[in-house]
Amino acid sequence: MTLAFLNLTWPTFADGLALGGIYALMAVGIGLVFGVLRLVNFAYGQLLMAGAYALAYGATWNLPTWESILLCFGVVLVLSLLMEVLVFRPLRLHSPATMLVATFAVAFLLQNIALLKFGALPRSAGSLALLNAPWDIFGAEIRKIAVVSVATAAGCLVILQMLLKLTPLGLHMRAASMDFRTARLLGVRANRVITGAVILSGLLAAVSAVMLSVQDINVTSTFGLQDTIVVLAGVVLGGLNRLIPATLGGFAIGFATGILGGVLPSNQVQYLQSFVFAAVIVVLLVRPNGLFTRAAGAVERV
Amino acid sequence: MNQLRRLPELLGPALLILATAWLGLEVSSYLEAYFLDTLVKVAIVVALYLFIGNSGVLSFGQISFVALGAWTAGLLTMPESQKRLEMPGLWHFLLTTNVGNAASLALAAVVGGIAALVVGLPLMRLSGLAAGIATFSVLEITNNVLTFDGKIGPGVNNFSSVPATTGIWQAAVACLICIAVAYVYQRTRFGRMLRATREDPAAAAAAGISINRQRLLAFTLSGALAGFAGGLYVHLQPLASGGLYLDLTFITLAMLVVGGSGSLLGAVVGALALNGIFSFFSAATNTVVVFGWHLKVPSGTAEIVLGVLMAVVLILRPSGITGGRELFLPRRRRPVADLEKARATT
Amino acid sequence: MTALAVEKLSVRYGAVEAVRELSLEVKPGRIVGLIGPNGAGKSSTLHAIMGAAPITGGDVRLDGRSLVGRRPEDIARRGVALVPEGRRIFGELTVDENLRLGLAARRTRANGNGLARAYELFPVLRDFRSRHAGALSGGQQQQLAIARALAAEPGVLLLDEPSLGLAPKIVDVVFEALMQIRDSGLAVLLVEQRAQRTVALADESHVLANGQLRITLGPKDAGDTDRLVSAYLA
Repeated sequence: MTLAFLNLTWPTFADGLALGGIYALMAVGIGLVFGVLRLVNFAYGQLLMAGAYALAYGATWNLPTWESILLCFGVVLVLSLLMEVLVFRPLRLHSPATMLVATFAVAFLLQNIALLKFGALPRSAGSLALLNAPWDIFGAEIRKIAVVSVATAAGCLVILQMLLKLTPLGLHMRAASMDFRTARLLGVRANRVITGAVILSGLLAAVSAVMLSVQDINVTSTFGLQDTIVVLAGVVLGGLNRLIPATLGGFAIGFATGILGGVLPSNQVQYLQSFVFAAVIVVLLVRPNGLFTRAAGAVERV
Repeated sequence: MNQLRRLPELLGPALLILATAWLGLEVSSYLEAYFLDTLVKVAIVVALYLFIGNSGVLSFGQISFVALGAWTAGLLTMPESQKRLEMPGLWHFLLTTNVGNAASLALAAVVGGIAALVVGLPLMRLSGLAAGIATFSVLEITNNVLTFDGKIGPGVNNFSSVPATTGIWQAAVACLICIAVAYVYQRTRFGRMLRATREDPAAAAAAGISINRQRLLAFTLSGALAGFAGGLYVHLQPLASGGLYLDLTFITLAMLVVGGSGSLLGAVVGALALNGIFSFFSAATNTVVVFGWHLKVPSGTAEIVLGVLMAVVLILRPSGITGGRELFLPRRRRPVADLEKARATT
Repeated sequence: MTALAVEKLSVRYGAVEAVRELSLEVKPGRIVGLIGPNGAGKSSTLHAIMGAAPITGGDVRLDGRSLVGRRPEDIARRGVALVPEGRRIFGELTVDENLRLGLAARRTRANGNGLARAYELFPVLRDFRSRHAGALSGGQQQQLAIARALAAEPGVLLLDEPSLGLAPKIVDVVFEALMQIRDSGLAVLLVEQRAQRTVALADESHVLANGQLRITLGPKDAGDTDRLVSAYLA
């Protein structure tokens, strides 16, 4: 059973959805921190990298799968909070350009620490690899991880939305991302909101790390790097100022990447990156304020 | 009088380059490679500075032009027999054309400049994060194409057998050319107009300055210098597309920001200081002797030191080592500076 | 006893001295007006009280305890609420969410009927509670901003030009509400451009110029236009 146009098959479509879902989670993670700190965290990929190494070590130590995942969450959360305290907080009042370059530095630093510590050879995070086996769904062979990724992403987004809509902390975070100064004058505690956003962002990074490590079980120091670059592009495409446009942007670019990767003829698939980023440039030129935002949004200065 | 006061703005960086070149000639040939590498990095950082420093717009794309320059100069100077051997898929024109060292550098600059012009034409109307992501996209596409296209270069392999013509003097002279270009540019009307748009885009636009056109000019010049530096680079060591990508983008941006992206002096000081430290720790992987101490560090230490150093400088001194200032002959008093200081504290 | 006391307060932005040695106090159940031309330092005074402007000298005390050096959110949590200039409501949040945001400053979980009280004071808000605040009219937005400030049941209310850009009829509603707020025992510090109305409403009004206190007027002076004008020109 195939989708009639191109050579798009249902499994490719499902893989596209899955990648879109994971990228959407990463986009939310980046967007949450941007909302409260006006900081584009280039080092987000290194959080995923750290989480993936945790999974790989869990597998090496023969930990049960759920313990590996727990370890992954722990490592990513601790690293997120360290980043916040050591780098983001001291830089809070600097220009966005300075902050972006600083997260560049953090990314470079963490990547090289990983290279020094764990070496250049890939480590295998294979404990969840059996999720790559297919399920037979109405005659189409859909990989289990595709289904799991889509379901997890949807679940996480729903929970997050409820958190933002229904809890006081969520309300404070939304208000802070719209107008931090006024929110503080009303009694919203800056540090608590920022820490909250960083923790949520870290949790999403950990979830993304688990999902991505199934797709790509070879963990190296550049794990998640390329994904983060693509997601950042997607987030800016969607519109960084608002969470939902940013999420849609992340999903769209993940979905497009997944589908293109499946339908491009084999002699062109190596140029996938070029196709994706050429599309990014075109969209930016047409809608510099974001694809999914209404008219001109607030302008950030970089 | 005013012209005389301005002189150190050019002479300061130039003397630093000459001093570096002289030191490079004095040290053993084994260490000379580090000085050569440093001089090439200075050229790249000055190219970055010309656009980023003067316009205030962050670009992640300039290393693309370095790569294009490297590809141009590399292909045009490699012996045809080697090209037939190593790059059988190369276009006929590239396969059979060969030029000399100086001509290859000039052509590298031309290709870098044209590429920047073509890319800049649509992109220069973007600013902020959109500009950052768009220039990043340019880097991604350039890297992707150069990595996989065997018709225009070595593809996934590296450039071997390019004549290693970049010696200390060639590198130093090339650096001085880059610095002179950047200096002359920032002293012209165009440079001043672009700086005005950096300080206050609205006021500059109201004064009749076309922001796009000024940015495009600087972007093109910057692309030409970057291509030129790429030419130097490929004449120095066997490059591969992976070496002209994220890490080089990061390291050169770090140099610019740590030095102080607001001034030419900052670009040069940042490149010299960071590459000096980087080279020291790279050399220390094979043991260096400092005042009788034998220091040996695991490989990768240099990158880590660089990352930490950069984060620390950004936190403690976000406008860089030079604070974005040029070298001036001191006047007796500078009341304006006091006012600026006062303003900075609010 | 005094709720809010400002003692020899000085505020400086770089080279510009916005407020110079200003002293005033606001007691519970009283409205104190702060009037004067643009750039006189009125807003700077409010921001300094809230910890959002650089204080270079003097003191701000709430019930005897100094607020200087505290963060804006901590000052809000001590019971000083600000209705900022230009209202600063969150247009993309609903009216109800805006009001619940005001609860951020409440000191204990116990005082939860601030919301109900806020709705009571401005019944029109209840009709629009699930609507986006950005869809409200200017007057309704101003009422929302005041209600939001009251949600956490503060002891001191600071208002920065609440009548700015409002139709005269709406200004009446706002000023009427201020009287009710005063009568409920709050200390109110009102910064205004509408000098005559403010002087008439407030228990006392200070005229500020160039960051310094020029003269203090009582409600009786409201009709005395000459005195008002000369106070401005002094």
